[in-house]
Amino acid sequence: MKGILKGSSKRGLVIGLTLFALIGAVLVSTVVITTAQEEKAAAPATAAIPPKATPEDLEAGKAVYFRKCVWCHGPEGAGDGPGADRLWPRPRNFNQGTFKIRHTASGELPLLDDLFQTVTHGLPGSAMPAWDGILSEKQRRQVVEFVRTELVKDRDFTDAETETYTPINFGKQVPSSEESIARGKEVFMNKGKCVECHGPEARGDGNATQKDEWDFPIRPADLHKCWNFRGNRGDPYNPANIFREVSTGLNGTPMPSFADVLSEEQRWDVANFVISLCPKKQIDPLTMKPNNDFVVRSKFAEGDLPTDPDDPKWQEMAPNYVGLGGQITHKPRNFVRLVDDAWVRSLYNDKEIAYLIEWDDRNKSVATPEALAMAATFEETPPEGKPIAEREYPVFNDAAAIQFPTKWETLNAPEKPRFMFGDAKNGVDIWKWSADGSVKMLNGSGWDQELVPHGSGEVTTPYVQHKDGQWRVIFKRPLVTDDKEKAVQFTTGQYIPTLFFVWDGHNGDTGRKTSLSSWYYTILMPPIPTKAYVYPLFAAAFVIGLQFWVTSKVKNGKKK
Amino acid sequence: MGKIWIPGAMPVELLLILAAVFFAFVAGGWVLKKQGRPIPKFWQAILIWIAAYVVLRYVLYPPIPSALLKTYMGLITLVLFLLVSSDEESWTEFKDPILKVLRGATPGFRSIRTITFVALPALIAFGTYDTIVPKFEEPIELRTVHPAPPASVKVAGKTFTLQTAENPFRVDEEGKYSRDIQQQHVNDNPWDPNAVKYMKYVREGGAIFFQNCHFCHGDNLDGRGMFAFAFNPIPANFTDAGTIAQLQETFVFWRVAKGGMGLPREGFPWASVMPPWEQHLTTDEMWKVIMFEYWHTGFYPRTWD
Repeated sequence: MKGILKGSSKRGLVIGLTLFALIGAVLVSTVVITTAQEEKAAAPATAAIPPKATPEDLEAGKAVYFRKCVWCHGPEGAGDGPGADRLWPRPRNFNQGTFKIRHTASGELPLLDDLFQTVTHGLPGSAMPAWDGILSEKQRRQVVEFVRTELVKDRDFTDAETETYTPINFGKQVPSSEESIARGKEVFMNKGKCVECHGPEARGDGNATQKDEWDFPIRPADLHKCWNFRGNRGDPYNPANIFREVSTGLNGTPMPSFADVLSEEQRWDVANFVISLCPKKQIDPLTMKPNNDFVVRSKFAEGDLPTDPDDPKWQEMAPNYVGLGGQITHKPRNFVRLVDDAWVRSLYNDKEIAYLIEWDDRNKSVATPEALAMAATFEETPPEGKPIAEREYPVFNDAAAIQFPTKWETLNAPEKPRFMFGDAKNGVDIWKWSADGSVKMLNGSGWDQELVPHGSGEVTTPYVQHKDGQWRVIFKRPLVTDDKEKAVQFTTGQYIPTLFFVWDGHNGDTGRKTSLSSWYYTILMPPIPTKAYVYPLFAAAFVIGLQFWVTSKVKNGKKK
Repeated sequence: MGKIWIPGAMPVELLLILAAVFFAFVAGGWVLKKQGRPIPKFWQAILIWIAAYVVLRYVLYPPIPSALLKTYMGLITLVLFLLVSSDEESWTEFKDPILKVLRGATPGFRSIRTITFVALPALIAFGTYDTIVPKFEEPIELRTVHPAPPASVKVAGKTFTLQTAENPFRVDEEGKYSRDIQQQHVNDNPWDPNAVKYMKYVREGGAIFFQNCHFCHGDNLDGRGMFAFAFNPIPANFTDAGTIAQLQETFVFWRVAKGGMGLPREGFPWASVMPPWEQHLTTDEMWKVIMFEYWHTGFYPRTWD
């Protein structure tokens, strides 16, 4: 009896585990499919002139607007609220009725549902958050009613004389496949001329000098970051979003409509191609960005560490996504940071450790002598009435740095040096590479202290390349150095706090004006212990024995 | 829409979800029974187990720690056994398919037995390997969210005693400190040209917030600003009943003025990017922005008594 009980509970467990895998897969795929279908279902069939807003809705919408929206969009909806001058992209100026994310033809006003979706899902990559779960559905509809009636001043949504609504036709969706992606790339490079603005690798580096309808600088999208697409509607990997934007164009920007240039099939191919560029990551539903994994797992490599990032040893590893925020804790403050993430990998052998850092930056920046002369006194304070978006900066060096506690071994966990260049009690060791080719090892002892160069060990950058809007830099250093007071020492199997900085020289980044990550950890992964291979065999043998014993018991029981 | 996670699921919600799933099963089983096609006891138990697992592992957001998941699943397994063995009849029915498999009663059952006997050891072996192989997960570090405040703070050359200091802008039309003023104007429009004095200060505070604070704390003050995704831990969420709603206004003033650097060790000062705002704002600006945060979230500062 006892034996049977054991057997049956195990059985339940096994069947359970197998089935759960199946059910889990089904569940996840259902969700993916339903969201994709929702997007398609959202494509309207008719294009009627919307009715006039009701007075109740206008009043309720106004209350929402003046509590939540006015601070960026301004009291008249001109995109000039108190927060606007420190933002880029700037908040939308509603007055002209120019809206980017629509289902309607180029130049037309959006459908009310388009505006509702924008308020609901926000505009990723800008300061506009998703109001889903913050404002009720009714409030979101009402605030749209208020904006389109009172703040869109130059056009009238309800005027059948002047306005038409021609929703795009999604046609028959072309499922993503290698062939479709290849065709899409072909269109991107040639017929569609997408490459002219978005660049040969589609990192948005084709044309850096464009302006929008309001004469503010605007950059083509970096198509490798689908989580930053303004119109991704909380569903970044859905090609229907790309199809829609390629078809409608983005009003007020240089992005035209391709509805007359490309066939529906070609637009689906382009959409599939664009989505294929975006690394498949788990998206955190609360931030709508890839999840940060705060542990950089350095892998042991036999022989010399490869100095080519395309070496299989680098490429076999999954890179860590490293989110970067603007440094706005101390002056000069970086309100508009242009590099918002980086990808990090690490390898080590018995002598050295190497990091490969890759990040997107539309142009290579090497400091001019005039810029370097003023770097020390550079202040990021926008002059009165002059928005950051219009600032002209001197060109400093593009740069990247990795920061470690100098003495992580003696820190009482979880204590660390302060994130910004350490502090008086706990110093940091910073490896900084700059685009002028210099590599420095620096000791930091506080945000307001000079970084002091030291000569312990030797950091090298055996690979540095800027190509098609992307930097790739390999840092390398011996695991241990002579002067252990100044430089970080590496041992396997320990969590070593690590922090990443990136400077964008064309954004006026220098010194404290930088983008930076939180504290991450590097761990040099020790080899897998032998017992990990031996113990499972014992366990399996034991279970096999148990199975035969239970079976024989059951059979004997039957005979009695 | 299209999301299966439930943000900030509390234990109560969790129990409700589990209960709903459980009752869905009972109801479904009852309907099938009425139709003369009852689900066998054995499969009922398996289905309930899987459904519970799926809810705990995939539906809840943020995810629960794996140790807790194991505890819950252990409990559920135990309860299921109690259920199926509650009387002899159901126990026999539950055992029946298992015994049939073990005996290899028919060719069908025999092949199931073969598959299970191969799969089970393989699964156990893999499980063992998975347990032994080192996993390099982020070390768990627990910080004190609201450390004890100091008795007083010195900001811009002036000393503020936290017990007695008051927000100088929480005032009525005569300029007298008023505790009720926020309640009277909680739904006002701060941009109304005829707004009362208090609302004018709220508006000034809002402007400061949207020039300085929203990058991290977010346009809705919920700790989900543009830079928040890069932080660990993420910025404070003022719309949560556990932050400013629980704090005195002067406590918030201390945090704003001194920022992450001013935290005691248990508050992890090294990980906080909260600026020491005394470097950027005047004390008046800090008081205004704090008042705006209370007005905007609809919470009231806690009093010292």
